[in-house]
Amino acid sequence: MAETVVELANVWKVFGPRAQETIADAQSSELTKAEALSKYRTVIGVRDASFEVARGEIFCIMGLSGSGKSTLVRHVNRLIEPSAGKIRVLGEDVGAMGKVALREMRARHIGMVFQHMALMPHRSVRENVAYPLEIRKIPKSKRWAISDHCLSLVDLAGYEDRLPKELSGGMQQRVGIARALASDPEILLMDEPFSALDPLIRLQLQDQFKTLVRDLNKSTLFITHDLDEAIRIGTRIAIMKDGVIVQIGTPEEIVTAPADDYVREFVQGISRLKLVKAHTIMQPLNGSGVPEGAIRVDGESDLDTLIDVSVGTDDPLVVEDAGVPVGVISKTVLLRGIQGGR
Amino acid sequence: MTTANFDATGFANNRSATPRSDAVRDIEVDRETLDASIAEFAGPRADYYADSFHTIHDTTGPIPRTFNLAAFLAGPFWASARGAWGLFWGFIILEVIAFVQIGRGSWGQLGAEDLANAQRQQARAQEFLQRAADAVAAGEDGTRFETLGNNLMRAAERSRETAEAAAADAAAILLTGLAMLLVLRLIQAVYANVAYEKQYTRWRVDPLAVPSGLKVQNAVLGLVLGLVIVPLTVYRFTIEGVPGWMAEFPADPDTYSVSARWLEGVIDDAARSGAGTFDGIVLLVRQVLDAISLALIGTPWPVVMTVIVVIGWRSAGPRVAIFTAAALAYIAFLGYWEIAMETVALVGAAVVLCVIMGIPLGIWFGKSQRAYNFAEPVLDLMQTLPAFVYLIPIIAFFGTGNPPGILATIIFGMPPVIRLTALGMRGVPDSIKEAATAFGASRWQLLKDVELPLALPSIMTGVNQTILMCLSMVVIISLIGGGGLGQVILEALQFAAKGPGLLGGFAILFVAMVIDRIVQGAFRRADQR
Repeated sequence: MAETVVELANVWKVFGPRAQETIADAQSSELTKAEALSKYRTVIGVRDASFEVARGEIFCIMGLSGSGKSTLVRHVNRLIEPSAGKIRVLGEDVGAMGKVALREMRARHIGMVFQHMALMPHRSVRENVAYPLEIRKIPKSKRWAISDHCLSLVDLAGYEDRLPKELSGGMQQRVGIARALASDPEILLMDEPFSALDPLIRLQLQDQFKTLVRDLNKSTLFITHDLDEAIRIGTRIAIMKDGVIVQIGTPEEIVTAPADDYVREFVQGISRLKLVKAHTIMQPLNGSGVPEGAIRVDGESDLDTLIDVSVGTDDPLVVEDAGVPVGVISKTVLLRGIQGGR
Repeated sequence: MTTANFDATGFANNRSATPRSDAVRDIEVDRETLDASIAEFAGPRADYYADSFHTIHDTTGPIPRTFNLAAFLAGPFWASARGAWGLFWGFIILEVIAFVQIGRGSWGQLGAEDLANAQRQQARAQEFLQRAADAVAAGEDGTRFETLGNNLMRAAERSRETAEAAAADAAAILLTGLAMLLVLRLIQAVYANVAYEKQYTRWRVDPLAVPSGLKVQNAVLGLVLGLVIVPLTVYRFTIEGVPGWMAEFPADPDTYSVSARWLEGVIDDAARSGAGTFDGIVLLVRQVLDAISLALIGTPWPVVMTVIVVIGWRSAGPRVAIFTAAALAYIAFLGYWEIAMETVALVGAAVVLCVIMGIPLGIWFGKSQRAYNFAEPVLDLMQTLPAFVYLIPIIAFFGTGNPPGILATIIFGMPPVIRLTALGMRGVPDSIKEAATAFGASRWQLLKDVELPLALPSIMTGVNQTILMCLSMVVIISLIGGGGLGQVILEALQFAAKGPGLLGGFAILFVAMVIDRIVQGAFRRADQR
């Protein structure tokens, strides 16, 4: 297992003066959001959230608006103070940091991208990207060099001296990404960065972002309300509902084994072709013989590949792991697998 | 009232369970729920109001045909009992006019004054005629008295005629009053249900704030108000010789003199005890003023003129530069140069102090809602209080001359820069502030790099308005010994000297226009950048 860079343990955020009472009550009972509002006049934003993000991972937090995902992610760089719970970033307790240490951590280790870009309209693109470096009092010559480099990473070379308002929405968001990369942070916090963009640009940026993060080996907390997006770029996904993390898992786990009806409803519309692997749907061999002349496929092949292979033969497919046969997939099994195991 | 279920699944189920035609022409008016709601609103006589509201709802023409007998009979008191206070006040005032006419027509002594005049004149005439007769009897010339007596006789006759004519009008006035009352009541009877239906619509939105039903306390309150307003007014206008307390408020002159003396003492004490502080403030203001004056008046005039024209050119373009040169030439040729520069120095000092104090205050008020709540009434006061009111305490505390004049100007001119700075600070988007914080900006960096630059257009507008406000105070401060062009105007005013007044007035106008053009031009360029 890779090194943990961000760790949240039992984090609560309750808005309102009687937050602690609410937490005490909610820990011992099934206090719902509506009950908390009527009983204590408090709003539960995040409820007992715990997760870890490993280095190099893209950890998606998926939930509908109002589910507390933006609130949750703001705890990582302490833009919001937790009501209870511990947050560790790169092994350090964020809650125990003084003002200076906190600013230092924000400036050096965490880059953030916002849904509405939040670029400074009075500064050029280059100076926007260089702003995190300016805060750290890095000399101008160095700042400009770094920001030009970051802009070229997001394919915006040549736009350095434009003002943000002269750029399209997709380009502005790329400026936002370049700005988050400028201080070369280990961690990126992405707060619905692509939600306000049109679908085609969104797809492009998702791919571009995925490649970029892998190449630079950043750890990312990525917030989205779009499960497709989460599945597309996420290493792991946490699904939130009403401030609670309902399920954490890889995209395949989420799609094949939804934790409850809420998640199942979401997953319904998701195409399984690229997600579900041969492992998941095959019938294990259990000692029976391997059918002669059958085509062999790797256990990690997805349904899409299996369909391609299967149309060329009438026999079942044999699934193997490192050359050893482990199971078979008949046409029936494959079709049911595509349907989702009904 | 129905409670709609907006739950997403519930809505979907509803639709599939009862497939019904949604064609608009098939939709029926649901009278039952509406009637229940109207009954809840109207209270007594609910059926009548339900019917009349339906008539109003069904009406497509301009005036719904409903007639409210209660409103016709009781007039404004119907309105008060139903909580329609707007209707009550509007019509009770109109009805008072009608009642006064009725009173004047029926028991008012019309022409009584003229009649009294006639009697007095007749008595005097008799007196003169008697003297004339006496004179003739004594063998002297009585023509003078006789002429006077005859003249008075004729005047008395005219007065009596006027009085009779007035008395003859009584019936007409009475009829006018009655007709007016009838028309007013008819209007109320027709309009009552329309107004009440509007009240009902508002009540549906906010049932707690909008009065509903028939309330006894409202009826009593309306009756009491009516009993105070109508009889007193009618009495005042129809009876001759009302008691003094009614004609004029029985104010006690001692209250006035005691409060005035007390306030005077307070101000004198404050001025004496804080003399050191006030002198310090005056000294500070004087130093700022002296520095600016030295730059404007001490420097040779060709240098100052050239600099002003060049500033105009650089900040607002060639047209403003030409206008500036012409305006300066007018001022210089009429011999106003030095005195105009004194005006500019006064305005400049006031603006500099306004900006130095106003922008930090504005930043503070923009960040702290509580501070702003406290400051808001003070700012309102500073802007609305007429300058003449605070000139007197300023004399008491700071004496007369230019520095107190600048202080008065600051009171009037500072609010815009404070307000617009606060407004600009509040207008900075939270998302951009959050972004800067997320990248590790400190509070000072946030202010310097994000908030101030984004609030700058608003702050500049505030500074511009402050400049214009200060300029408009320049004439007024001459009343407390302020110098500059204001003094020219004040002297011209005292001697009603039309020529000097106009020349000086144009000089002020040109100073104001030059400053305004240059500043606006500069700000517009800054905005475009």
